[in-house]
Amino acid sequence: MQKYLKKIRVLVAVLFFAAVIVSFSDVKGNLPSSIQNSALYLQFVPSALKFFTPGTVLSVGFIVVILMTFLGGRIYCSTICPLGIWQDIVIFFRRKFGPKQRLRFKKALNFLRYSILVLTILFIAFNSVLLLNLLDPYAIFGRMATHLYQPVLLFVNDLLYHIPFLGLHNMEYSPFSLIGFIFAAGMLFLVTYMAGTGGRLYCNSVCPVGTFLGWLSKYSFFKIKIAQSSCTQCGKCQAVCKANCIDIKNMEVDETRCISCYDCMPVCEVSSIGYNKHKMKPVQVAKPGTKPLKIKKGLERRLFITAIAGLAASKALALPKKAAEKITNEKEKKDPFYDRGPVAPPGVGSIRHLIDRCVACHLCVSACPTKVLQPSFLDYGLSGIDVPQMDYDAYFCNFDCHKCGEVCPTGAIIELPQEEKHLTQLGQVYLQIEYCIVESEGTACGSCSEHCPTQAVKMVPYKNTGLTAPEINPDICIGCGACEYACPATDPHKAIFVVANKEHKLAENPKEEKLEYEETDEFPF
Amino acid sequence: MKRRDFIQKTVGASVASGVLVSTVGFTEVFGEEKQADGPVDMVAVKGGGPDGMFEKGIEAMGGMSRFVKPGDVVVVKPNIGWDTPPERAADTNPLLVGKIVEHCKKAGAKEVLVFDNTCDEWTRCYKNSGIEEAVKSAGGKMVSGKDKKMYKPVAINKGKSLKETTVHELVMSADVFINVPVLKNHGGATMSLSMKNLMGIVWNRGWWHKHDLHQCIADFATYRKPDLNVIDGYNVMKRNGPRGVSVADVVNMKYQILSTDMVAADTAATKIFGVDTAKVKHIELAQELGVGTMDLKSLNIKRITV
Repeated sequence: MQKYLKKIRVLVAVLFFAAVIVSFSDVKGNLPSSIQNSALYLQFVPSALKFFTPGTVLSVGFIVVILMTFLGGRIYCSTICPLGIWQDIVIFFRRKFGPKQRLRFKKALNFLRYSILVLTILFIAFNSVLLLNLLDPYAIFGRMATHLYQPVLLFVNDLLYHIPFLGLHNMEYSPFSLIGFIFAAGMLFLVTYMAGTGGRLYCNSVCPVGTFLGWLSKYSFFKIKIAQSSCTQCGKCQAVCKANCIDIKNMEVDETRCISCYDCMPVCEVSSIGYNKHKMKPVQVAKPGTKPLKIKKGLERRLFITAIAGLAASKALALPKKAAEKITNEKEKKDPFYDRGPVAPPGVGSIRHLIDRCVACHLCVSACPTKVLQPSFLDYGLSGIDVPQMDYDAYFCNFDCHKCGEVCPTGAIIELPQEEKHLTQLGQVYLQIEYCIVESEGTACGSCSEHCPTQAVKMVPYKNTGLTAPEINPDICIGCGACEYACPATDPHKAIFVVANKEHKLAENPKEEKLEYEETDEFPF
Repeated sequence: MKRRDFIQKTVGASVASGVLVSTVGFTEVFGEEKQADGPVDMVAVKGGGPDGMFEKGIEAMGGMSRFVKPGDVVVVKPNIGWDTPPERAADTNPLLVGKIVEHCKKAGAKEVLVFDNTCDEWTRCYKNSGIEEAVKSAGGKMVSGKDKKMYKPVAINKGKSLKETTVHELVMSADVFINVPVLKNHGGATMSLSMKNLMGIVWNRGWWHKHDLHQCIADFATYRKPDLNVIDGYNVMKRNGPRGVSVADVVNMKYQILSTDMVAADTAATKIFGVDTAKVKHIELAQELGVGTMDLKSLNIKRITV
């Protein structure tokens, strides 16, 4: 029976991987958001973050993962985690086409992995998810999917849309984000390289989720064990173990590193490795001269020192915007354009909440129909690195759309009812009439007002020129950025733009007066 | 009482009592200043639904076969600029666009392609305006207007401010080009009409806003004269245009203008809207460039009340 476990694992993993890929293929945000919501429900870190966010739907996916781990070890790592499955794909092809590789048992990098886990938890305790942002495998994979896979998807669409019966549209490419690309490509290279050379090395030395679930696996009900009574120590299981956790000399399996991939079971000719095989009575004791696997005594103390250091670091990082503010020089500071700050997407409540919850998986970036959501660099401060912001050079926020809130798996962006989205003020409009085309060129424009969904920017008669110029009403402005996007002024910069609200507010409703119209019998010409 | 007066009064009464619907199939041609023998330059229709008025209008223009020959590739350019539902009248009415596509197909068009370089995100505009569905069910095809590759540089020889721009290649290659703007208020260009609607077939229109918008609109009108312009004045956005804030900006005026002359069509539209034609500067500028005439009296106009 246990021989089939691997096949089942592969099948489930393929399904989950496909679900994640579909979730990140929604370039125009046209898929029903329930697809993303259900496909990503079991992603550990997002689910846990969402659980602790009031105002979101109950998110217990991470509890399911924990229960699964108590049952049979790190099932999450081999069947649900997209980065884990990606590594398995790399390893699969490496085995198929690469030079022969016999994997060996390796010592656990306990200090490294537990330090990272402790630091990650400490950062969270001090309101910074920076390390989750950088290291969470789902977030890493999300960025890879958004910035590397989606462009490929669009390229393929470009080649295929001419074929009529496919019913494809020609799609424009999303704006290129350098920061998004660097993070995605860097991690893709690193993880792929680690997988190609050391198997699931990332999962067992860096990944905080892997380390945490590995620690839980110590208490699993079912564990992968070697039946010492029947094991011939042929070493076939060890040779295929991509977690390098089978110690054939001692006939032991390090359950904290075992990712429950079940690759070892079908290769064992005497069926001596599998779940709870240890219940068979041991005949042979471990050979003298080998040490059992245990965390070294000094480790706790070393981890404690790391924790203190991390505490200081996380406190320093929790103060946002310091770094970004220093960059702007004195002259620019006087111009509000250079001090307008990063605008956060609707549904975050405040920039603080966004930074506290977002792990930068970029699902919102990938699904945003207008692509106004783009990764930030240091705009939110170091602890908000790579977190999405509204980029009004790329586009503006669509009035009737709240795709980002619908899909966000972490609760960083909370879905708003349509009426509330229509009034949620991300920032306020600011007009520098001296740079406006109507003033500087003396010709008609109105691009800003044209795009404004609430008419917070309205065209009114300007000086006796016979022209109209924009007039702003920040009270009814929602900060969607349509005016800023559309403004054609460039000298020295846009004449109209959005100054970010750190705390989002509710705008006033635009006033409506009734229009009178009487139908006439005659044509007016 | 003359027959004409009788009909006008009866129609007026039925409008007042709300009885009149677009299916009332009676048409009356009246009030021509100039009864020419040549082709009709303009048809003005009032009182019906967007599709019903087009049926009458195109018939009076001489039928779609006057413009579309069998095997032609037709490009229809409605205003699909905004992600708003039809009742907001920020986009051309989908019933009208669907009807136009249907007539083109009936006249034997090989392909009817519809697109706009939208302001809001295009897939949402196409969908929520109702135009995508109307076009598809009438046998036409929606094309993206946001694919930069499809825009090719052209010279505007007669242009004063706009000397060159980039135009969607479908407009350049199409046998027939039908321009279907929606009549509405416009914060920048005063009114959005036939000529303003052509901003949706160019790529770099931001440049226009920077270099004398009215002159650029007039300049571009010299590039390719649409074979037919249909101005949708069924629901009319009277203020806060071109996007509008809510349905409170919209009045159900039930007009439609069909014309081969953009300047004439736009002049007539300003009169329907109730704005001084001189305030929409690009109309006069276009007349100066020889795009068309503002003198409606010189034209062969048919007026139809449905």
